[in-house]
Amino acid sequence: MNIAPQTLRIIALVLVLALVVGFFASVIPNYFNARLFNRISSSVAIMALIATAQTLVILTRNIDLSLGSIVGFTAFATGSIVSAHPTAHPIFLVGYAMLVGAGFGVVNGLLVSYARVPSIIVTLATMAIFRSVLVEYSDAKSITAGQLPPWLVDFPNTVLFEVGGVEFRAAFVAAVGVVLAVHIALSRLRPARQLYAVGSNPEAAEMAGINSRRTVFVAFVLAGALAGLGGFMFLARFGTITVVAGLGFEFKSVAAAVVGGVNIFGGSGTALGALIGAVMIDLIDTSLVRWELVSAFWREAVLGALILTAVAVDAILMRRLVALRIRRDKDRHAQEAAK
Amino acid sequence: MPNPVLALKAVSKSFGMTKALADMSITLFAGEVHAIVGENGAGKSTMIKIMTGVHQPSAGTLEVDGKLLTLSGTGAARAAGIAAIYQEPMVFPDLDVAENIFISSSLGWVQNKAALRAKAKGLIDRIGMTLDVDRIASGLTLAEQQAVEIARSLSQDVRVLIMDEPTASLSAHEAAQLRRVARTLAEQGVAVVYISHRLEEIFEVADRVTVIRDGQHISTKPVAEVTSDSLIADMVGREVGNYHIKAPPQTRPEVMLSVEGLGCGDIFRGISFDLHAGEVLCMAGLIGARRTDVALSLFGIRPATEGSVRFKGKTLRLVSPAQAIGLGIAYVSEDRRKFGLAMPMSIKSNVTLATLKGILSPAGILNRQREAEIAEAYRQRLNIRTPHVDLAVGMLSGGNQQKVMLAKWLDLKPELLIFDEPTRGIDVGAKAEVHDLIRAFVTAGGAALVISSDLPEVLALGDRILVMREGRQMGIMDHAEASQETVMRLATGQVAA
Repeated sequence: MNIAPQTLRIIALVLVLALVVGFFASVIPNYFNARLFNRISSSVAIMALIATAQTLVILTRNIDLSLGSIVGFTAFATGSIVSAHPTAHPIFLVGYAMLVGAGFGVVNGLLVSYARVPSIIVTLATMAIFRSVLVEYSDAKSITAGQLPPWLVDFPNTVLFEVGGVEFRAAFVAAVGVVLAVHIALSRLRPARQLYAVGSNPEAAEMAGINSRRTVFVAFVLAGALAGLGGFMFLARFGTITVVAGLGFEFKSVAAAVVGGVNIFGGSGTALGALIGAVMIDLIDTSLVRWELVSAFWREAVLGALILTAVAVDAILMRRLVALRIRRDKDRHAQEAAK
Repeated sequence: MPNPVLALKAVSKSFGMTKALADMSITLFAGEVHAIVGENGAGKSTMIKIMTGVHQPSAGTLEVDGKLLTLSGTGAARAAGIAAIYQEPMVFPDLDVAENIFISSSLGWVQNKAALRAKAKGLIDRIGMTLDVDRIASGLTLAEQQAVEIARSLSQDVRVLIMDEPTASLSAHEAAQLRRVARTLAEQGVAVVYISHRLEEIFEVADRVTVIRDGQHISTKPVAEVTSDSLIADMVGREVGNYHIKAPPQTRPEVMLSVEGLGCGDIFRGISFDLHAGEVLCMAGLIGARRTDVALSLFGIRPATEGSVRFKGKTLRLVSPAQAIGLGIAYVSEDRRKFGLAMPMSIKSNVTLATLKGILSPAGILNRQREAEIAEAYRQRLNIRTPHVDLAVGMLSGGNQQKVMLAKWLDLKPELLIFDEPTRGIDVGAKAEVHDLIRAFVTAGGAALVISSDLPEVLALGDRILVMREGRQMGIMDHAEASQETVMRLATGQVAA
């Protein structure tokens, strides 16, 4: 029985998630109930999208640190459109947000894949630049929930269906739907294979006739579009958008992807993994608040330690697995040779 | 008459001043395995790169199916059905076998996994291998990875498959497997180009064999009409010219390094030699002979697992480069870029990199004046051509970079210097200077171990010559007994050690 390593990883992640929940349930009274799910699900909806966007880029051996700024800008831009035109169609708004995000992605993509500037430098710079564009564009004013049409503000918390107190809210369902769609696309679409190929072995990709520049470019554009969608969700959820909207999302998204088993050196990882990573981080973050033993000052440190542990365990596990496989193959060859 | 699939007509290729290929003509027929042999640097790689569209010829033409064709890039070559696999296979370690095979085929947007697997299985069967198509490539053996690459080229209707030293890193069992694959493909009408240093396998696998030397076509004959002796004669049959250094036989009684039965896992074993002060020992062999691995063991990077090393009478267990350096052993790597020099740093910083302690003031501050003086002294002594020693090393020519690297190691005042391909990629003038420096170093009482794939260099520089082949010592001989033929015979395994 051969389980694909990616599937194995997802199973392992779910197990770890269960362990974490079990642990907190044992130290925090009244912990495990429907409200826990409801709380996590609405806050994770945005981060799941950003983590998925980050995953697309990391798969190609790059990184996008400007995602947080893109979220902030698109949230504000979409907010100002809808406050000026309250009758604008929802689909138009979503499309607008994604288009603006994709536009930022084009800037990143051009600089990384055609100007050949390392992505960490490009996006470190555009993180600051996009944020400044937002400050300039917004004139340092904020958007408030009062300016937005009621349907938009109500959308995230609309309960689509409910199972024994566990509410499935629209934002969460939509976000999970998008992540799953990306997940399936990554595993089933041929162009997506090229994403993995470029990150897995750039030279070989070039030799195999894959246009690696275009592949990386497309990854950045798609990531920008997903971040734009995240910006729309951000607007709907919080209503109030200031110039610091989405600040820090870029790092959280990297953390979520890495905890979710996406290889920071590219080539392997899944969107579903990134989603679980986002859930894990959010779960621990919100649970630590309720755990009296850990002071607020230590929360960040615990979160950091968790990320290190996740990555270290992952690296050791994968190395073991590969070594095991090589040994098994060697034995088999020895047997064949003996025959 | 079979159909010619691919033909080079009077192709030449120059890189700057060096002529890598001159007037090369070769015709490949469908259904044949065509072996190409030649010394290292004979121009085989350049020829492959022209066939696969990596390089464009400086002169001459290329014909596919008798029609003139310009291969503007690797994509054009693939479209024409020309593919190559190398000693180090190009696979995607994170993807499975089926995905690897169909990575660049146009099978539509949506992947049907089941259909993909079935097709992959078909291709693997076609080349006569057994391989689970669900396995992740990083767990495959080298031979299996090569099979994946071959299957990939088949999925793109390959008509000319170039196999460049495909068996150099394989075990005997795997190599035999791969040779069967080559034959199978030829029977299916593919023109297979087979490049190998193992002459014996050429007799087993090839229909015709072409010898090239110094970028020129020497001969193309059916395998039945050649012998390994005639091939070797064709491969080395050049005058030994422009090497002016005579190795004076001045072996002194004092043994500096004594190596006995040295081995390291299944990489190499049975290496034994004595190296005296004042002596240059050259290690000859072809690519894949594992000479560098022996050097790395002697330098403590990859500790040996068997055998003994005595240095100046004391038995050593070398486990780290720092330890080796402390004892007075230095290793000048063949890869200047990777292991030798910090290219963006200045010449003087590079020269003193290994000896920084010597230029610290008592307070632990770098004495930059002293640093510049040391670098300046080496600039004059080694004739490093540069306006000043503050220049970044990356700005220098290859030969001068090599001298900076030598200066760095000489500054350690080593007693044993190991040179790995000291003159690769540098021009003839700089080559002679490097030879002089090595000679001067041993004349002053040092001992040098020189790894070189350049046969004339080995013959000119070595007081003694040790020949390796596939991790085994094939023989060791004095300067007087060595000739191109004797060394090449040992290096290709035509004579038992």
